[in-house]
Amino acid sequence: MKAGNPEPADSTPARLGRAADALANAMNAVAGWGYFAIGALITFDVLARAAFGFSSRATLELSGYLLAIGIAWSLAHAFTERAHVRVDMLVNRMPLRWRVLMHLVAILLLAVVAAFFAWGGIQLTLESIDFGARDRSALEIPLGYPQAIWSFGLVFFALRLLLALAAATGRLAVGDFEAVDRRHGPRTYEEEAAETLEAVPLVEDRR
Amino acid sequence: MIAVVVLVLALAAAGLAALFGAGPSGDLPLWEIVTLIGMFLVFFGAGVYVAAVLGVIGIAAGLAFSDRPFWNFAGQIIWGPSTNFVLVSVPLFLLMGEILLRAGLSARLYRAMQLWLGPLPGGLLHTNIATSAVFSAISGSSVATAATMGSVALPYFEKTRYHARDVLGSLAAGGALGNLIPPGITFIVYGLITETSVGALYLAALGPSVLVTLAFMAWIAVRGQRMPAGADSPAGMAPAGLGVRLASLLDLLPIAALIMLVLGTIYIGWATPTEAAALGLFGAIALAAASGSLSLRMLHDSVQATARTTAMIGLILLGAYLLNFILGSMRIPQMVASTVQDLPLPGWVVMLCIIGLYLALGTFMEGFSMIITTIPVIFPVVHALGYDPIWFGVVVTMLIEIAQISPPDGTVLYVLQGLRRDGGSIGDVFMGTLPFVLIYIAAVLLLLVVPEIATWLPAQMM
Repeated sequence: MKAGNPEPADSTPARLGRAADALANAMNAVAGWGYFAIGALITFDVLARAAFGFSSRATLELSGYLLAIGIAWSLAHAFTERAHVRVDMLVNRMPLRWRVLMHLVAILLLAVVAAFFAWGGIQLTLESIDFGARDRSALEIPLGYPQAIWSFGLVFFALRLLLALAAATGRLAVGDFEAVDRRHGPRTYEEEAAETLEAVPLVEDRR
Repeated sequence: MIAVVVLVLALAAAGLAALFGAGPSGDLPLWEIVTLIGMFLVFFGAGVYVAAVLGVIGIAAGLAFSDRPFWNFAGQIIWGPSTNFVLVSVPLFLLMGEILLRAGLSARLYRAMQLWLGPLPGGLLHTNIATSAVFSAISGSSVATAATMGSVALPYFEKTRYHARDVLGSLAAGGALGNLIPPGITFIVYGLITETSVGALYLAALGPSVLVTLAFMAWIAVRGQRMPAGADSPAGMAPAGLGVRLASLLDLLPIAALIMLVLGTIYIGWATPTEAAALGLFGAIALAAASGSLSLRMLHDSVQATARTTAMIGLILLGAYLLNFILGSMRIPQMVASTVQDLPLPGWVVMLCIIGLYLALGTFMEGFSMIITTIPVIFPVVHALGYDPIWFGVVVTMLIEIAQISPPDGTVLYVLQGLRRDGGSIGDVFMGTLPFVLIYIAAVLLLLVVPEIATWLPAQMM
């Protein structure tokens, strides 16, 4: 958050927003380390297959679960980091008020889709539990477990979008268009580039 | 703006085509399709999230036109692709790339290549292309390739008299090899959506990779004839002796080993692309450890960035799978395909239109969104026209690479601009990249005329 007409830090939406962002960040880290775990699982399997001729017979399923959970759990963080893709060619050329209106429409429609996904996830989880469905891996994991964890990510994403919508509407009510634009405006190519460059180690001149 | 004009023309052509096609095939739900296209244009123009455009249109089309209770399948529609073992390779390759981006390996790679290629006319520019090509063989990302190679290469040029345009253009061109030279992430997404073999796509990409790399170097050789005299020999960069050069090859060993670990295992059929990605991840960690840049902080940053990019790609995929399920239950892709097939046009004209469409989309759309949004509808058309699915995967990847470096958009170009320290305008990057964009387009057209460049190798090996 930049300076200039800041939201009162102790307001309920502001505190909720900060808590949600912290949780989203933690869930994103879990997702990322989950991918690392997938890599470790698969590598172990490949090496074990090559060296000892056996495999865990659960890697296929486990890595699939970790991927599904990883995607669902990182959706909210990607949203607050403005990483979800929009076609911004026209929006960036609109006057501020129109632009902000478009941000709200975009979040609203994304919330509709997210709610549909969350609902679908819960339905699938309940079905799996009802039928006692298990996967075909050596571990015979009941499908309801990974699907419940996965659905939690989808539900959290939908709730995060609704919270963002409420917070943005609150800012609009007091006429603070800039704050909404800062928070939800599409990322520019310069911002994308700056983020990549942060990661690149500076090369000292060795000659 | 040119893009919009081309799009409108393409739409008009499609409309005319539909009118012609309405005669023989007749059963095309023209009204529904026009409504869908209209919704797409309005939503995209309004800047709605790409995933939300796909998802909302899917839900709306399902409610309006489908008589099946599609919502009962909602969970299964998105759980299926989310757990797909092919898709698992995406976060693994991304994580490998994030680690390599932070590992600082490229300095020694660049120095070694420069010792060998430097003495040629335009030598440092050749070095840019060659090192980018080598780095592309361990990285599936164009932005990462341009960022790593640019960060190492640009200091070399500060004491030379190369024109900034040539330098930046060659680095952008090198970046645009990142996804084309295996292992590229675009191929995985394409393979996932079209259910084609990623291994076959990686084999098919080899010929075109060599073609594009050589074409870039040929252009630099031509330009090199007109370089200012002495551009190549700044102070302290006299041609090195053979001993130094041979010793420099040792610096290439770690990267060569990583290429063998990832591509070698795929090509000899010892590992699937997903397994190779996992091996490559730990290979990259080993290299980072050896170069002293590995730390928990660095790993944590890498996994966070990986999760974010995977979420970005994943959300669009989920929206696309929802829409495709609805469109598929309405049999729209098959109808569009049979309509195009009945057109009184030869296949190559349709293919030229498709290539033009991608070039137009590329001027304002991000690569993954482009491929995930368009392939489900375009692929059945291409298939119906009798084109090879593997060949088309390579063509689409090349078109997306072109989009990545087409001025005035493209993250690659802004990454390079951000790395400059000479304070020049981004116009240099645009002007320098343009010839390479044209060469890339020429390579796509050549592939249209001589498809064997891509299809020969997989046909021999699979």
